[in-house]
Amino acid sequence: MTLDSALLYGSFSLYLGCVFLYLGHALTKKPLLHKSALGLVIAAFALQTLCLGLRWNTAGYLPVTNLFSTLFFFSWSMAATYVYFELRYRIAATGLFVMLLNLVLLSIAMPRDPSFPPLYPALDTPLFTFHIAFSFLGYAFFSMAFSMGVLYLFQRLRPTALLPDLPTLRKLNEEAVFLGFCLFSLCMIFGSYWAYVAWGYYFSWNIKGIWSFLVWLFYGGMCHAKFVKRWQGTGYALLSLVGFGVVLFTYLGIGLLMSSNHPLD
Amino acid sequence: MQRFWKLLCSLKLAIYLGCAATAVTMVGSLVLLYHPEIFGSMDRMALMQWYEAEGSRDPLLSCWVVATGILILLFALNTLCCFIDWLRRFKARWRKTGEYLIHLGFVLLVAGYTWGAFSGSRSEQNALAEGETMAVPGMPGHFLRLDKFSPTFAPTGRPLDMVADLTLLEGDAPVTSATARTNQPLMYEGLVVIPMSFGQSASGFTGFLNDAGQVRMVPGASFETRGGRLEILEFHPNLVRRPGGVLVPSGRELINPAFRLALESQGGRLEFWYVLREGLPRELSLKGIRLRPMQPIGSYHSLLTINRDPGAGPALAGGVSMTLGVFFALGSFYYKRSRGDRPEVV
Repeated sequence: MTLDSALLYGSFSLYLGCVFLYLGHALTKKPLLHKSALGLVIAAFALQTLCLGLRWNTAGYLPVTNLFSTLFFFSWSMAATYVYFELRYRIAATGLFVMLLNLVLLSIAMPRDPSFPPLYPALDTPLFTFHIAFSFLGYAFFSMAFSMGVLYLFQRLRPTALLPDLPTLRKLNEEAVFLGFCLFSLCMIFGSYWAYVAWGYYFSWNIKGIWSFLVWLFYGGMCHAKFVKRWQGTGYALLSLVGFGVVLFTYLGIGLLMSSNHPLD
Repeated sequence: MQRFWKLLCSLKLAIYLGCAATAVTMVGSLVLLYHPEIFGSMDRMALMQWYEAEGSRDPLLSCWVVATGILILLFALNTLCCFIDWLRRFKARWRKTGEYLIHLGFVLLVAGYTWGAFSGSRSEQNALAEGETMAVPGMPGHFLRLDKFSPTFAPTGRPLDMVADLTLLEGDAPVTSATARTNQPLMYEGLVVIPMSFGQSASGFTGFLNDAGQVRMVPGASFETRGGRLEILEFHPNLVRRPGGVLVPSGRELINPAFRLALESQGGRLEFWYVLREGLPRELSLKGIRLRPMQPIGSYHSLLTINRDPGAGPALAGGVSMTLGVFFALGSFYYKRSRGDRPEVV
């Protein structure tokens, strides 16, 4: 087993462990379990970061050119986003849902081929690195908004002391959407400039280009919808769910099922 | 008037327009996917050129492009009005600078794209060999010269990059020059020239000359022969004979190769064609010169994408405005959150 595989399996095991600890915390409400779960998340994230760094160093470029590496990077971005929210707001039991989502991503990634395909000359630029990094960080925040939306609806229908209160969940959802929108805007700007210098035009009438613009437009709309009373709270949570559907379709649906200029496999 | 301005600046109008544009584009993207015969060439032409050439062939299938365009333009107009409204109240709302720079960036991007869609031009697969010059499509009076071209390969033979030294000329005068390669185009006032690929074509032949042995038959080469000084003026991989016997070069494929030769002897200078398929010209055989081409000499030529988009400048300004806006908005967001501010309700 190579070092990067060992790190990958190590981080997966730790994420799995933290899901059990979060589950234990949900059942017993012992603060020690929450602290231990957070410790495991940070340890798993550190291993995953090391693994990413090692793979980056080996490949000589940010390895995000096939399905395994994009899922891995998406998972890393999600973990980073969760650590940010957890350290900033101590969102406790929400970690169970987010880490489960992260485990699903890693589980889909792990059986796939982790080798590095030869890099197309056009991809060998920092613009590509920035474009991809901001894209997945944006997706990660949108996933976090989705998680907050689901938990908001859960809290609303079956109130529990384990989850943060509704105003906090709403605030976290709005923050996730706003940060995701900012990062995704940077992704679009770097991507457009890169497309201009690489292909001579900054907007492509390709299904991926169109749906990326739709993701941007949708979350731009959400950044405004929070100022409209009828869209606050439940409406906003529902919009987060729909938005995540759009994100999944743009990332996986188009990348895997359709012919586009962003193929995944 | 005041009510109309309020409507133009209204958030609800923005949401309605945004939703409508999203819905139309979603449906349209699926139409685009299943009708490549109409939409497959959209990136190869400026939008209006595409609509005239392809989209208008099936107005029903391409109506979503028109609808999306109108909705996005209205959305941009609404965004511009919001921006102007904010500028009028700048003193009270300066903390929203980041958000409104994003608005301005979006307006500039839409304006730039629209300008480019109406007056831009795109051209692909422009083959240019070293030393050759071609007219720039969409820029009358401008020419592009390829001074030097060299592709680079990995040890496995996989193409890695290509380096093209290009000079842009206005008439005979050089305007700008650049070493263009992957991700580093030549850029000049909305013109972008990118070496996208390359091809190989014959630039001459190795041959056998009875007085000199093995020779390189390439333009510029000259040989002393028993019949005088023989010079190779031109080489064409494919020479087509038009009605009336006129010979015209056509393309780079090695189909009907021909040399234009000059023979300088005491009797004067004689220029004539040597079409390989037609055998040794009389002018040579009469003087006892035996020149036999043996193998083509290959050389690379660059395949250039030449696009002109006058809206690229405003679009770039929009991108810069949006980037600055994102950073300002992030700073402002954390500042406001640290003070416990909540979004206002309308």
